[in-house]
Amino acid sequence: MSIQYNKHTFKDNVEENLNNSFMRGAVVSAQDRLRTGRINAAEELGDWEEWRAHGEEIRQHVLNNLDYYLHELAENVEKAGGHVFFAKTAKDATDYIQEVATKKNAKKIVKSKSMVTEEISLNEALEEAGCTVVETDLGEYILQIDNHDKPSHIVAPALHKNAQQVKDVFVDKLDYNPQKSAEAGELARHVRTTLRNEFLTADIGITGCNFAVAESGSICLVTNEGNAGMVTTIPKTQITVMGMERLVPTFEELEVLVNMLTRSAVGQKLPSYVNVMTGPRKPGETDGPEEFHLVIVDNGRSNILGTDFQSILQCIRCGACVNVCPVYRHIGGHSYNSIYSGPIGAVLTPLLAGYEDYKELPYASSLCGACSEACPVKIPLHELLLKHRERIVEQEGKAPISEAMLMKAFSLGGSSSSIYATGAKIASRVVAPLSKNGKISKGPGPLKAWTEVRDFPAPKKERFRDWFKEHEKGSDK
Amino acid sequence: MKVSLFATCIVDMFQTDVGKATVELLERLGCEVVFPKGQVCCGQPAYNSGYVKDAKEPMKKMIEAFEDAEVIVAPSGSCAFMFREYPTVFKDDPVYFEKAKKVASKTYELTDFIVNVLNVEDVGAKLEGKATYHPSCHMTRLLGVSESPKKLLSNVKGLEMVDLPNSYNCCGFGGTFSVKMGNISEQMVDEKVDSTLQTGADYLIGADGGCLMNIGGRMQRRGENVKVLHIAEVLNHH
Amino acid sequence: MIQHREEFLETIGNSLKRTVNTKVKPQRNWKYAPQKKGYQGLSQDDLLEILEKQCDKIHTDVVTTTVKDLPNALEQVVDQYGGGPISMWQDSRFDDYNLKPLYEEKWPNKGYDVSKWFPELGEQNIQNAEKANIGLTFSEYVLAESGTVVLFSDQAHGKSVGLLPNNFIAIVKKSMIVPRMTQVAELLNKRIESGESLPSAIDFVSGPSNSADIEMKLVVGVHGPIHATYIILMDE
Repeated sequence: MSIQYNKHTFKDNVEENLNNSFMRGAVVSAQDRLRTGRINAAEELGDWEEWRAHGEEIRQHVLNNLDYYLHELAENVEKAGGHVFFAKTAKDATDYIQEVATKKNAKKIVKSKSMVTEEISLNEALEEAGCTVVETDLGEYILQIDNHDKPSHIVAPALHKNAQQVKDVFVDKLDYNPQKSAEAGELARHVRTTLRNEFLTADIGITGCNFAVAESGSICLVTNEGNAGMVTTIPKTQITVMGMERLVPTFEELEVLVNMLTRSAVGQKLPSYVNVMTGPRKPGETDGPEEFHLVIVDNGRSNILGTDFQSILQCIRCGACVNVCPVYRHIGGHSYNSIYSGPIGAVLTPLLAGYEDYKELPYASSLCGACSEACPVKIPLHELLLKHRERIVEQEGKAPISEAMLMKAFSLGGSSSSIYATGAKIASRVVAPLSKNGKISKGPGPLKAWTEVRDFPAPKKERFRDWFKEHEKGSDK
Repeated sequence: MKVSLFATCIVDMFQTDVGKATVELLERLGCEVVFPKGQVCCGQPAYNSGYVKDAKEPMKKMIEAFEDAEVIVAPSGSCAFMFREYPTVFKDDPVYFEKAKKVASKTYELTDFIVNVLNVEDVGAKLEGKATYHPSCHMTRLLGVSESPKKLLSNVKGLEMVDLPNSYNCCGFGGTFSVKMGNISEQMVDEKVDSTLQTGADYLIGADGGCLMNIGGRMQRRGENVKVLHIAEVLNHH
Repeated sequence: MIQHREEFLETIGNSLKRTVNTKVKPQRNWKYAPQKKGYQGLSQDDLLEILEKQCDKIHTDVVTTTVKDLPNALEQVVDQYGGGPISMWQDSRFDDYNLKPLYEEKWPNKGYDVSKWFPELGEQNIQNAEKANIGLTFSEYVLAESGTVVLFSDQAHGKSVGLLPNNFIAIVKKSMIVPRMTQVAELLNKRIESGESLPSAIDFVSGPSNSADIEMKLVVGVHGPIHATYIILMDE
């Protein structure tokens, strides 16, 4: 899967999802639960604003010194016995991984959930090379066996499916006994058994990377299901793919960010598994990979570094912004037509995949600021959405002409108080024929979209400033 | 204290009653209210739509209209926040940056001004009934004003305040968002209306004209019986 | 082997509008250190209490015992979990704590297969762990706040033991309870600074595996263990 899901317009995707009532109910309850969990966890921790400030300064420091830390990380991975491949593009990354798979004569590959591997379409590349790829995160696995359905949430990818739908997929694809229940626990146990065999027979394990530690060459994976542990314990070869910005200087900062990540994502103090791996297995050890490859991916990130959008690279992929976004709440993840949904997706997707297909995303926000407030590393998400809009209008020239004219007229009117005052005055006369009982139910132009949903107040015959003039006279008396 | 009123264009054109209530309330609290005539729109609709260059023209007009004010008060958290943002907008313009800083530093949202500058928490208002309060996003999150309106409302005689479920969710206004993304905005405002109905309140009170126009317009369209009021109107009811 | 590093870093240098720095260690002058606040002046008893409360939340049993009573306590937990097969680390502490009679006589007599992690067994180790009903390890530290045991792997301490069996038991000393991950991070930092290498795997394990991927309903026990017990040695 690449970043993009389909070729439909944003409008069509939104329309389709607005009509998906199960998905919408699931998103609302997930949001409410995850939001409460996050807030309680932050409260329990205490000094949350200080944690955020620290998280932000760590991430900014890393981005500003990315060259040093990537260099150091590579040195230490090599010292621990691993290979490091720096991939400028998605293709560089997938070519290298294909090459490793071919060299290892790999047939089966197990994967633990990773956004960056989705971003570079790794599964397709491996299947092309003749490998079977098995996703092992429960949510990702469900989507994979359901004819590659798309993830709709960064941390809960199968959020849009209910248990009955999952059961149906299992009956269809996994020989799940139709007499058995659609209870989440029973379904999960079935996957435990099915996937156990895949883990034991896989040739290569592929993971993403929550954080890499520069000073030790370690990589850190955070999961609850234990699948990352399985992927990095049993197969003889491990390939870890990391976005180039996902590292920290030392364990001191790793600890801070892991704690913030899991609290922000699901409200947990720590997840069941924080796996920290340094190089391949050592002499005499009999589990863990014999061979370890770290693939560090740029794929457009360096075009963001050093620009007004640099702060988006602070992201630690917790999904907190997604879980508070009132727009995501109604349209769900698939509407964004990108593996990155919600506010983070609306900012990041156009940067990685261009405005051509994604120029609507920066407008899919009421700029309410809930995302910026929730972000544990203080990315000013709503401000970045504004910056996108500015770019779309002023540099890309991708704004609708009608809107540009309206804004021009507005600034002309607004720049002179006399034009503004007259304009405001005639407004009431112009719209007078449309109004009934002081409201407009069916308006033209920009009013049309408004009045399709709600009534619009007819401008008052007496403007406030006219009243004030009279009021002033009155108080002079 | 001499207060320069930043009325906002919504109030000037559509919500004159809110403007009147604001003036009367401030005068009742002992302020002298003036209306700088050069005022136009604060530029937020253009600015938030990405037309930053175009937005700067009305912004400059506003800075000139208000730079000599002693204190600037607006009956809108969102518009007040736009003034506070002016220094950021003009960060590369040495002349207007300094002026913008002056304007930003003396701008207050109405309830913030009453509680934190005038140090008044009870304005002597009376209103019978049950009400719920919608905390507007810009006012709460960006301007950081969340307690003042609650304090003032809690002291209105006869008014029973009840919590609005999921009050932190945006009402779907978002300026041009409400028309550009009309179908999404509709879902958002519907949820807000439903939450309001759940409370059984007679009044929905807010402190931002845009949000109230949105929620009120939807209530009206759906034929709901809840009265939508600006906080200035409530505080001026006695 | 490191491939294409130079040109990759060159691009980053260009983006940052400066020459590439790989030599001068950046100064980390943090303005904030929230992780160092809190949990000050707590006794081991206080920490144990925090740990027990947290374990309750993460579906993990805590058994407190003494060195003398450990064989009994362990036997009980193992029986509760339905007995063998048992997969365990190879560790001198088992003998120091007088557990030899348990794993060499009592358990085999009850019909519980016991397998220890011996490097010379190679792949067989993983198969043993995979077949085991119970995995038995020690933990170097325990994090009170999150209810986390910390497993360092080496040739006698396979990762698989704590991961593959249905049930997981970790034995820890009360003296090794620390407030939170911060303290372990500090120790690891020191270790690296002194030039010592790290274990190939350090696993921070907080209770049994779980998932909420189906309808956001919590399921305990997915790929890793389904049940977990920490046995705390009160006099150590």
